[in-house]
Amino acid sequence: MAEAAAIRAGASHPGWQIDRFVVTTALAGFALVGGLVWLETAPFMVALFAIGTVLGMALYHGAFGFTAGWRNLVVKKRGAGMRAQLLLFGLSSLIMVPMLHSQTGLIGAVAPVGTSLVVGSFLFGIGMQLGGGCGSGTLFTVGAGNIRMVVTLVFFIVGTVIGSMHLPWWLDQPGFDPVPLVNTLGVSGAIIAQLVGLGLVAWWVNRIERRAHGSIERNELLWKSQSHGVLRTLVSGRWPFTWAILILAAGNALTLAISGAPWSITFAFNVWGAKALEAVGVNMSQFEFWTWDYPAIALKDSVLTHIPSVMNFGLLLGAMLAAGLANKFNEASRNRPEARQFMAAVVGGLLLGYGARLGFGCNIGALFSGIASASLHAWIWFACAFAGSLIGIRLRPFFRLPN
Amino acid sequence: MQRAYSRTRILLALGVILVLIMADHLNSPTFAFNSGQGNVQTALMQRDESACAPCGAPCPSTRD
Repeated sequence: MAEAAAIRAGASHPGWQIDRFVVTTALAGFALVGGLVWLETAPFMVALFAIGTVLGMALYHGAFGFTAGWRNLVVKKRGAGMRAQLLLFGLSSLIMVPMLHSQTGLIGAVAPVGTSLVVGSFLFGIGMQLGGGCGSGTLFTVGAGNIRMVVTLVFFIVGTVIGSMHLPWWLDQPGFDPVPLVNTLGVSGAIIAQLVGLGLVAWWVNRIERRAHGSIERNELLWKSQSHGVLRTLVSGRWPFTWAILILAAGNALTLAISGAPWSITFAFNVWGAKALEAVGVNMSQFEFWTWDYPAIALKDSVLTHIPSVMNFGLLLGAMLAAGLANKFNEASRNRPEARQFMAAVVGGLLLGYGARLGFGCNIGALFSGIASASLHAWIWFACAFAGSLIGIRLRPFFRLPN
Repeated sequence: MQRAYSRTRILLALGVILVLIMADHLNSPTFAFNSGQGNVQTALMQRDESACAPCGAPCPSTRD
């Protein structure tokens, strides 16, 4: 009887296994890259690398995917993922808007508002659903060993480079300079206006869920894992959304405090792609984008001195470590994707990259960091990317991607 | 349970990435600076306060 009970308990709480090879490799990579950054750059870069690693773990263990959250709302009429994102934006807004305007030397994620932003974010939204992830989603799934997402990442990089060649033309189309909400509403006013905006979106999300299901699942408010204890959940996942929200908000605020600018991801892809082209003999300075001060110096110098690149390396290794601790490395690639699914990764990656460059970033750099900086462009980005995502969701069945 | 990946491929992929990072770094101004060469501009503090976007794009109002 006791034995039978023990077996039943074992079935419901299977043994805690980690993938030692993946965990060891990720830790070795962390030590190697972290050591290089320490030796060759400055201690604050090591701190940013470590923050990137923690963010990668949080994204993986929290399964914090912007793409799936949006799709779940549209297809399954479930809004927990979307509400978790709104909570994250609200919390970051409360922390980072006052930071940005109380300390000198900090620069927010603001960007021009115009044709480039609208077209770019719309294309990015389509790409999210076809590629299978946004900027952060692509990176953390690649770190967790997803083969299809490696294809998405490669074409994401190609897309950003093409986008960088075209961005000057797009900037010449109708548009105007960045609109920081703080300039017109003040710090408190900007925060309140943003919280009201996020509240309205949350109300709309709740309305959709309640209409479809009669009630709302408040998964985004859970504090404890329902399957394991705190320690095991912390190490091997899956984290409740609240944990991921707190870590992501703290990570972005620390990034701002340490580097002087909020978290961003996709500009690093630009630099990696442009460096690859230069390595095969292409003179990137023939393109106007690469003559601008920041891109030019980022292209010329080491990736180990480039903040988004270093944080991305940390994110990749953090996701790898988390996947190893969860014993799920490469789990998503057990069933080999069909040719059309790879085609979706190619098309989606190109749209993601091109869209990210025209739209001044991805869900992290433009949306998350943009709202945390109280910039109008982030709200326009949100609306246009969501509209694009609706089209992307409709296109998924053609590429044999499940909805 | 059978592993879903090849250890060799993982190590190979990470090794290639590391080699690319090192090749890039060894040809960079920062490495030259660290090796004692002066008069090079490094990118350690890269924020461009005059730019209008995180990618360094200029403001539309400044474009002719």
